[in-house]
Amino acid sequence: MRNISLSLAGILLLALLPFGVGGYEVNVAMVILFYVILAVGLDLVSGYCGQFSFATGAFYGLGAYTAAIMNRDLGTSVFVNLPAGALVAGLFGLLLGIPALRLKGHFLAIVTIAFQTIVYLIISQWTSFTGGQVGLTMANVGPVTVFGVTLFEIASLRAYYWLTLVMTVICVFAAWRLANSRLGREWIAIRDDETLAAAVGLDTTRGKLTAFVASAALAGIAGVLTAHSLRGVTPDDFTIWISATVVAMMVIGGRGTFIGPIIGAIFLVLMPEFLGRFAEYKMLIYGILLVVAITVMPEGVVGRLRQRSAR
Amino acid sequence: MDLFLQYIANGVVIGSTYVLVAVGLTLIFGILGVVNFAHGEFYMLGGYAGIMAVTVLGLPVLPAIGFVLATSAIVGVAAEAILHKPMKNRDATSSIISSFGLAVALQNAALIAFGPQPQRLQTSFSTIPVEIGPIFLPLQRLMIPIMMVVLISVLYVVLRYTWTGRSLRAMAQHQTVARLCGVQVERVAVVTFMVGAALAGVAGMLMSSVFLVYPIVGNMIALKAFTVVILGGMGNVAGAAVAGLVLGIVESLTSAYISNSMRDVVGFIVVILVLLFRPQGLFGKAVDRS
Amino acid sequence: MSADRGVPILEARGISKRFGGVVAVNDVNLAVNKGQIVGLIGPNGSGKSTMVNLVSGELNADKGQFLFEGADITGLPTYRRARAGMARSFQLLRLFTSLTVEDNLLLASHMRMKTSIVGSILGRESGLAEEQAARRKARELLAWFDLEAFADKPASDLSIGQQRMVELARGMMSEPTLFVLDEPAAGLSPPNVDKLILLIRRLRDEFGMSILLVEHVMRVVRDLCDHVVVLDSGVKIAEGKPDAVVKDPLVVEAYIGSGWKRRAQG
Repeated sequence: MRNISLSLAGILLLALLPFGVGGYEVNVAMVILFYVILAVGLDLVSGYCGQFSFATGAFYGLGAYTAAIMNRDLGTSVFVNLPAGALVAGLFGLLLGIPALRLKGHFLAIVTIAFQTIVYLIISQWTSFTGGQVGLTMANVGPVTVFGVTLFEIASLRAYYWLTLVMTVICVFAAWRLANSRLGREWIAIRDDETLAAAVGLDTTRGKLTAFVASAALAGIAGVLTAHSLRGVTPDDFTIWISATVVAMMVIGGRGTFIGPIIGAIFLVLMPEFLGRFAEYKMLIYGILLVVAITVMPEGVVGRLRQRSAR
Repeated sequence: MDLFLQYIANGVVIGSTYVLVAVGLTLIFGILGVVNFAHGEFYMLGGYAGIMAVTVLGLPVLPAIGFVLATSAIVGVAAEAILHKPMKNRDATSSIISSFGLAVALQNAALIAFGPQPQRLQTSFSTIPVEIGPIFLPLQRLMIPIMMVVLISVLYVVLRYTWTGRSLRAMAQHQTVARLCGVQVERVAVVTFMVGAALAGVAGMLMSSVFLVYPIVGNMIALKAFTVVILGGMGNVAGAAVAGLVLGIVESLTSAYISNSMRDVVGFIVVILVLLFRPQGLFGKAVDRS
Repeated sequence: MSADRGVPILEARGISKRFGGVVAVNDVNLAVNKGQIVGLIGPNGSGKSTMVNLVSGELNADKGQFLFEGADITGLPTYRRARAGMARSFQLLRLFTSLTVEDNLLLASHMRMKTSIVGSILGRESGLAEEQAARRKARELLAWFDLEAFADKPASDLSIGQQRMVELARGMMSEPTLFVLDEPAAGLSPPNVDKLILLIRRLRDEFGMSILLVEHVMRVVRDLCDHVVVLDSGVKIAEGKPDAVVKDPLVVEAYIGSGWKRRAQG
């Protein structure tokens, strides 16, 4: 009950944010929301189901490029692109999930890195379709129409921020439901002991694939939202460093806890804002933080706090 | 036909680089069980160390190689202290994430220190042409397979005939038993990282005349090295040596006869297929669990 | 409950398995009849564990055929065999350590429920009758095994003896027709072994369970088994009533002989 009221208070606060701060802060808040979706999504497959993925950036990019290309070729709005981006990224998640059925640990890590690299090579090299290194620009979100009837317009940053907030709340809620469902219980079982999971009759193949698909689809949604917010995409927004950042958020916050990756995302996005002129060292600091976190606190901040309170 | 031989020679040069990087990677995995995602950064740092040795310190080529070997070995000691020492008795997850973090940190440290512009190493060897029949290679490129053969031979002799080598091999067999037999596990770990980093560093220096050096150059090399390690069988040094040359030659021929943009993709397709159908590697033995 | 004795629930026909050059199991035939407790014994390294893993599907046989309730299950993956009605326990205790005792049991009933991404997000399942029924069943079983006080505790908090009981309860949760017990007495104190013997007998008598019991502790085998199969170096060397089998000269030779050999080598 306390958790629900805290969440509602947090959402309300975020909803009121644009009335209290300027455009820059609203943009930062929006970036936090994108990363919250990414980190929560990664946690489903890596934290709950125990399957490595250094490919979050690739799924993020697949969602974003789906939005940009559909917007260019079909003139679709964000509301059509959102399910499309989730679908495309989810399908690629299924594709990456197939090797994961046979591979574990470092082998899987290598395959996800290779996948991330392949996706990057494709979006940066296939110039005629993706715009190559320059990327693509997109029109303003503008009026939202259904069969030619204008429903409402998303013209301002504020309106787009609210849309992002609503989508983030939906995504996080969906992830929370998944983590606490029968499916979530199966994911944890696969993480804990795959042999045993099969011995009690769980279809571990299906369990892993659902985790990969759910995680990728969430990253795809974050990608669509990002593409529309930046009004364009470039390959360099979806490098392996994005994957590294999201892994760091999850690990620092606490793998396999629900709230941990959210806290990690907020912390790592806000941190450069307080670094002043050292903000350009952001990725250096993320890397060091990741090393330090996994060395001294592999269970993450939230995991550590839980261990403390359990004692 | 003449061009074909030239492509093979180019493939051997690139392949030798892969061998140098992959042998260290496979040693670190085989002996210590650490999957080092920061191995490409040893290569990258070797490249910058080489440029510094030649342009800042003004060293001739061979002393410069010695300088790179030494600095890389120090990098290896530091990496061991970060990736291996504190991770004992932990699952593989920890060292994977940690080395990934270290790779990100080193790339960005290099970006801050040296900037994003690719740099090229010019040495007195760069301009000396060597012709062997129809094959033409600048001496600096020829140095790569030569150094590879020299270093791998030295490594082989050390592994085979010295006490240190026996300790390393004992560790690869069974850590606890090795410890009981008097192997100083901590020292072996440091030596392994030193050797791995030195091999990758020399490769980075020698290749910097071909591929240029920039902060994220290690990403691609590391992926290629993983491909080679997997093809050769995780932990199998001889397998890595063969697979490295094979990958180099296949890439060179792909680039020559199919398309240059397919070059990097070939390796990845191969690695994913091998991982799916023969995860023990082409030369590894199938190990059935009991 | 009357058991239809004489009707085989599990049949292994000519099963062989080799690892590299070592033949771990060689042409073994074995049958468990409905309501029967069949013991699988043999000295260390005789192939018992390999045989259990072949039965449960964690390993695939190189040769031979498995019939389960008359249907050919050779080559089916582990989870399909579990769904067909085969439960097992492990020699080295295996539980989902980060889940509660109750969740450990609930997972064993998942195979009869549907899960989907969309259904889970919409939260349809938590109120579903089948989920509630499964929870009720888990509580009943935990009570039967004297574990109801631990339902909400993490499985890793329990003692070894209690974890063994959770394993048995988990197996029963899946409503199996055959329960494969891999050295259930391993690591238990003598009083706990007595308790275990009683419990396994009750499983057979109260639930009509058919059991394949791999065991080291001879007392357990003699007290429980209707029929015993003896393996040595992967070959079946004897089978029959427990009392007769232990007097079989081949069996005596296998146990004592290998003991001698081991002493001579060690």
